[in-house]
Amino acid sequence: MPLIQLDDPDATLAMLRDSLAALAAEADGPATFRRRRAAGADLDPQVWTALAEAGFLALPLPEDMGGLALGRPELTVAAEALGRALITEPFATLAVFPGALLAALPPDEHLQALGAGLGRGEAILPVLWQDARGRTAPLALTDDLLNGTAHLVAGASSATGFLVLANNAETPVLIHLPAGAPGLRVVTRPGIDGATLATVSLHDVPAGRVLARGAALETALGTAITTARMALAAELAGIGARALEITVEYTANRVQFGKTIASFQAIQHRLVDMWAEAEFACSACTNAATAPEGEVAQAVLAAKARAGDSATSITRKAIQLHGAMGFTDQCDIGLYLKRAIALNATLGQPEELRLAFLAAERAA
Amino acid sequence: MLTKAVPEQQDWNALTDEDFRAIFRDWVDQNCPAHLRFMRKQRPVFDEVAEWYHALARKGWLSPVWPQEHGGMGLNAAKHIVYVEEWARLGCPRIPDHGIGLTGPLLIEFGTEAQKDFFLPRILSGEHVWCQGYSEPNAGSDLASLRTSAVRDGDEFVINGQKIWTTLAHCANWILLLARTDKEAAKPQNGITVLLVDLTSPGVVVRTIPNLREEADFCEVFFDNVRVPAKNVVGEVNAGWALAKAVLGHERIFLGAPSRPEYALTRLEMLAEDRGAFDDPAFRSRFAKLRLDLYDLGSAFERFAKVLREGGTLGADVSVLKLFCTELYQRITEETLAVAGEEARYYDDLPLGDGGHVDAMNLFLDARAPAIFGGSNEIQRNILAKAVLGLPSR
Repeated sequence: MPLIQLDDPDATLAMLRDSLAALAAEADGPATFRRRRAAGADLDPQVWTALAEAGFLALPLPEDMGGLALGRPELTVAAEALGRALITEPFATLAVFPGALLAALPPDEHLQALGAGLGRGEAILPVLWQDARGRTAPLALTDDLLNGTAHLVAGASSATGFLVLANNAETPVLIHLPAGAPGLRVVTRPGIDGATLATVSLHDVPAGRVLARGAALETALGTAITTARMALAAELAGIGARALEITVEYTANRVQFGKTIASFQAIQHRLVDMWAEAEFACSACTNAATAPEGEVAQAVLAAKARAGDSATSITRKAIQLHGAMGFTDQCDIGLYLKRAIALNATLGQPEELRLAFLAAERAA
Repeated sequence: MLTKAVPEQQDWNALTDEDFRAIFRDWVDQNCPAHLRFMRKQRPVFDEVAEWYHALARKGWLSPVWPQEHGGMGLNAAKHIVYVEEWARLGCPRIPDHGIGLTGPLLIEFGTEAQKDFFLPRILSGEHVWCQGYSEPNAGSDLASLRTSAVRDGDEFVINGQKIWTTLAHCANWILLLARTDKEAAKPQNGITVLLVDLTSPGVVVRTIPNLREEADFCEVFFDNVRVPAKNVVGEVNAGWALAKAVLGHERIFLGAPSRPEYALTRLEMLAEDRGAFDDPAFRSRFAKLRLDLYDLGSAFERFAKVLREGGTLGADVSVLKLFCTELYQRITEETLAVAGEEARYYDDLPLGDGGHVDAMNLFLDARAPAIFGGSNEIQRNILAKAVLGLPSR
């Protein structure tokens, strides 16, 4: 069955897969999804802590932030394993994205402390930077006061602080705000994957420490987006592959007309097409995880687009092949669909990513 | 100058892929005639490409995979991929290659010494041009139901029946024939024999079948009491089915090589540039999808090529490339016709402002075929369902 193929000379990747499998055996993914959804929470603290203890939150961090200085292959395998186990914590948006952002900035002690806290799971630092449609939000830093509204914020209720991307007289700045800053307001909405998303409004909030500014910040943001997309792609590939396996198993056991429904050619061809989609998502992730430095951005755009399309398509078809059972909330397959939709919509849907790929290629 | 320094044979597999690529590309680029590059025709007949065939034969580079003791280059799978990639990149024409790709490997593995000594050199010299006699009017996807019969008569077999979709039979003089030698076998697969048949024998009639591109790529071949010496049986009588299936090996990867859709996408891009289609955001979206499909096909191809480079063998799952590649080729050529707009009413090539042409209709029609041959895509899905997903039959 489809798996992201990567060389593993010192068995680091196998170790990561084992470690996540052990974690998944403790933290039942679908049960956690339902529990978190019922509680109206933005993450599950127990699972988040378990991810920190297993070292997963420190994956994108360099050694001076307590990370293991691991690369794209390790991040890819970890995210894929999370997808397969349906561990639906905001890994890409709340661990990878802020972690990769801090790691890509010119190093200083304060950044190192923030990054280290992130990796240990003690700091939860959502990035405030998107508007209601996902574009860069018009947050403003004027006279040391922050104003504006950020949307689509994961982990805002659990946050210990925020990383705010704001404009200061045409120059982008990154500011660290403590969670309870005066004038900061969090309003949550339910997300499709059982975790809330927040709108965070800032009204004359006294700005905290400026962490970075200007071109260095813009470059770091680009790097962080690419790294987070890599993780999202791999997680989506894992979701698609696992949803396919579940559906193969279901249809091979469901009997109608005296035969298993997986013995019907119409069903077989659908399953083969789902399998092909899963295979292509995996090989696109392999390519992105192993691309030479200069080709990473394009390879990741392709992988995120491919894996997003594949996972949403596979899980939709999986619902259909589960019949009425697939339409129940009780059946786990629906949770795979919901998670796939959420991750596919995060940091660019496939069409947008493909157009970005094409624009970059035709400009070259 | 470099060509002079390159020996005709050496242990190519000892070179790095990059070094081999450079040597092979350099020689091919200097020796494949310019007027044969990027031919409109997918399957030229022997006489049209004889010049190139003989150049390869003289160099000893006609047969990439045969062992060097039999006159091949002895390339392993990794080097063979390089050979095929450079061939496509430089736009070399396809040569009638059934002798090289089918009959030769079959004889090398299963033939008698006498068969090898007689046939292999004649393939390399171009004296024997082979075609593949498998499909019949009522035995296509269900090949094992074939009925062309071979009946033993002393030291000979007498052949009666009909083959169809026999590619390039009209320019071949030998046919690798699957015939039924046992009508009573418990399973139809168990009564089939491989025979080497001289197409100039009395009783053979070959008729071309014009295809959608109004070219005669494939033929029907009729056998009326055609006598074939018993020494032309390959392997055992009634044991031909396994032989016919054995010769595919790593070459299945090439059914999914991205070169055709890659070429078609460059044509689409040229036409779209010329007609201003990139100004249309809806077209840009569709083009981006096709471009990324091609890019991702490259990633998927690389995943299987890596298995071969590391000395592994391919499983049934490799045919995912064939499915995706052939269907992508179709979608690209369909989009090209859409860009052509009202001009899609023309059969001939579409002129561009810079004096060039795009063979939109030619490519569209050509793209119908690969999803059908080499095991139709529906048959591929049946095989994948069983072999990869392990789906039940009851």
